[in-house]
Amino acid sequence: MTSTRPTIESGPTDRVRPAISLRSTEFTLAVLAVVAYIVLALTTHGSVLHADTLTAIFQFLAVPVVIGLAQMVVLGVGQMNLSVGVVTGFCAMVTAWLMVDVGLPAWLALVAGMATGAMIGLANGLIVVLTRINGFIVTLATMTVIDGLRYGVHGTATYQGYSPGLTKLGQGAILGVPTVFLVAVLVAIAVAVFFRRMAAGRRLLASGGNPLAARLSGVSNDRSLVLAHLLSGLLAGVAGVIVVALSGSVNATIGDDLLLPSFAAPIIGGVALAGGVVSVVGTCLAALIVRLVDVAQAQYSINPDWVDLIVGAVVLGAVLITQLRGRAAK
Amino acid sequence: MRIPFWANPRLGLLVVIVVLVAVFTALRPAFLDVGLTIVPMQSDLTVFVVVGLAQLAVLSLGHMNLAVGRMAAVSAFASGWAYDKLDVPLPVGLLIGLAVGALVGAAAGWTIAATGVNSFVVTLALDFALIGLVSLLYSTFSDGVAFHVAPAGLDILRGDTFADYCMGDLCGPPIPLVVPIALVAALAVGVFFRNSRLGREILMTGSNLQAARLSGIPTRRRVIQAHMLSGLLAALAGFLLAVNNGAFSADIGGSFLLPSFLGPVLGGTLLAGGAVSVLGTVFGAALTEVIQTGLNLLQFEVEKFKIYIGIVLLVALSLDRLRHVLAERRSGGTAAPRPAADPVPAEHSGGAA
Repeated sequence: MTSTRPTIESGPTDRVRPAISLRSTEFTLAVLAVVAYIVLALTTHGSVLHADTLTAIFQFLAVPVVIGLAQMVVLGVGQMNLSVGVVTGFCAMVTAWLMVDVGLPAWLALVAGMATGAMIGLANGLIVVLTRINGFIVTLATMTVIDGLRYGVHGTATYQGYSPGLTKLGQGAILGVPTVFLVAVLVAIAVAVFFRRMAAGRRLLASGGNPLAARLSGVSNDRSLVLAHLLSGLLAGVAGVIVVALSGSVNATIGDDLLLPSFAAPIIGGVALAGGVVSVVGTCLAALIVRLVDVAQAQYSINPDWVDLIVGAVVLGAVLITQLRGRAAK
Repeated sequence: MRIPFWANPRLGLLVVIVVLVAVFTALRPAFLDVGLTIVPMQSDLTVFVVVGLAQLAVLSLGHMNLAVGRMAAVSAFASGWAYDKLDVPLPVGLLIGLAVGALVGAAAGWTIAATGVNSFVVTLALDFALIGLVSLLYSTFSDGVAFHVAPAGLDILRGDTFADYCMGDLCGPPIPLVVPIALVAALAVGVFFRNSRLGREILMTGSNLQAARLSGIPTRRRVIQAHMLSGLLAALAGFLLAVNNGAFSADIGGSFLLPSFLGPVLGGTLLAGGAVSVLGTVFGAALTEVIQTGLNLLQFEVEKFKIYIGIVLLVALSLDRLRHVLAERRSGGTAAPRPAADPVPAEHSGGAA
């Protein structure tokens, strides 16, 4: 699967692209991930090959993948969502609150948690469309509001022991694959199908790629914007629910460190900020690479500060390479 | 065609500030207490104004600087290091910090200009990288978190107001000594964008890159210069915060991102580029500061501030839109007072790098 482009497009990229191109960003990222993993395996005397380490790698890959997709959806329509991190934290807190203080059954609380995310996303989208204020500023404002609300749920206290069944499921595995990772994969497939096969997804990309052309073709840009923000909020809600199931205890600091990774995954994965292009596979692979940097930090006991430095350099490098490649293609 | 005076965002901001001050004073008379509120409020305000100006410098291009906080942190590290290891006097350390900030800003600007990558991505990645770098630098060169240094004059700059200096019976007003620094910065930036050829050319580059290039403006160089100015002002903000805190620490700039946008955006600076308002930035920062101090006096929890400040931002911007729609209708719908009235830009966030 390569970058999904909108149908409305002009220029030299009109030619049919093969399903797997050796020069695609996705292929480069896949090679990079495999090489990084092999190097890690060799230099740590195979400790990343142990079942426990592997489980941990994939368990904690789930949230970055879903969060990256949450950002990717809005990038596809040419917007940004600065509130993804805090929405994840807020939804996690709401879900835990519903189970502990309200006493809802776990499944209902999970649904409610995801719905909360979707509602916040809907609010973002409606504000953007109705006021015509830049999406960056709107989500900056809602980020601030929800950051405050996040602490309003339960102060700085921690919820724990909410649902042994849910935690067991979240930390468990099916056929050796962690359940939360399976959830993330299912979400990624759903997002890919949405952008590839569904009319709404194609319309969304058309609006992102060229709003004027989209409007002239009868696509409602406003509807695309609202839908993109709604999906982004929903995915952030899913990420929040995953955190609840996986960690067994949640507090209001969840989501603080998610904003930057949410941009890193799609940008490294080759998603343009200008809109109109998304890459589900690229985003997932980029999240894996960032995760491997984390693993390397833990394995070599490097100062964690290096992780930020390296990820920053990788993001910049990835963008520069994409840009240079675009120029070479011309 | 001119916009009617009541559609001027600066005037609206001033009215809101006055109303809020009146409300807070009525609820808590301590709001006008000189020592308790007025003086600390001015010290905080100087930092926010300069941070807002740092963002304004690149908003003029239609760019963003997400690394504004971390540029401040790196520069504050450089100043702190110079005071700690080289024992330089106060102004020299400030100059070193400003130079480092300008250099980092110029590097960001060069990357954007040379590659054509969106300013949002470049400064976001830079922010990532600098977060790590700053922590590493502090853990290598200091005790881990901060330089506890006190070059001659730092404490005076931090604690004194003009009221402490008297000629006979005549004492100055209760204004902290750091305030003039921010005032000079605001005036300089205002004059730069209003009267200098360089500033006008940066604004032209921001409003229409293609037209600017065709008119013979070296647009690449203007992009680099605007980002350099942003880095310089971020460094100044970092220095002022370090002075207010009394220490050059790793957490300087950590909370700069939101205020940096609040000031200019509330004050009517466009994200699309091509127009800036320095006075609006000062008022926008003042409004934020008044709300924070007021809620603080009313003993709201820290987290609740954020809810209100976010809502104020949304309401203020929505009202701003409304005002412009009304102003347009009144002038017969022919005049487009400013590009924001066009519905299309909302669909393109980010810079036109």
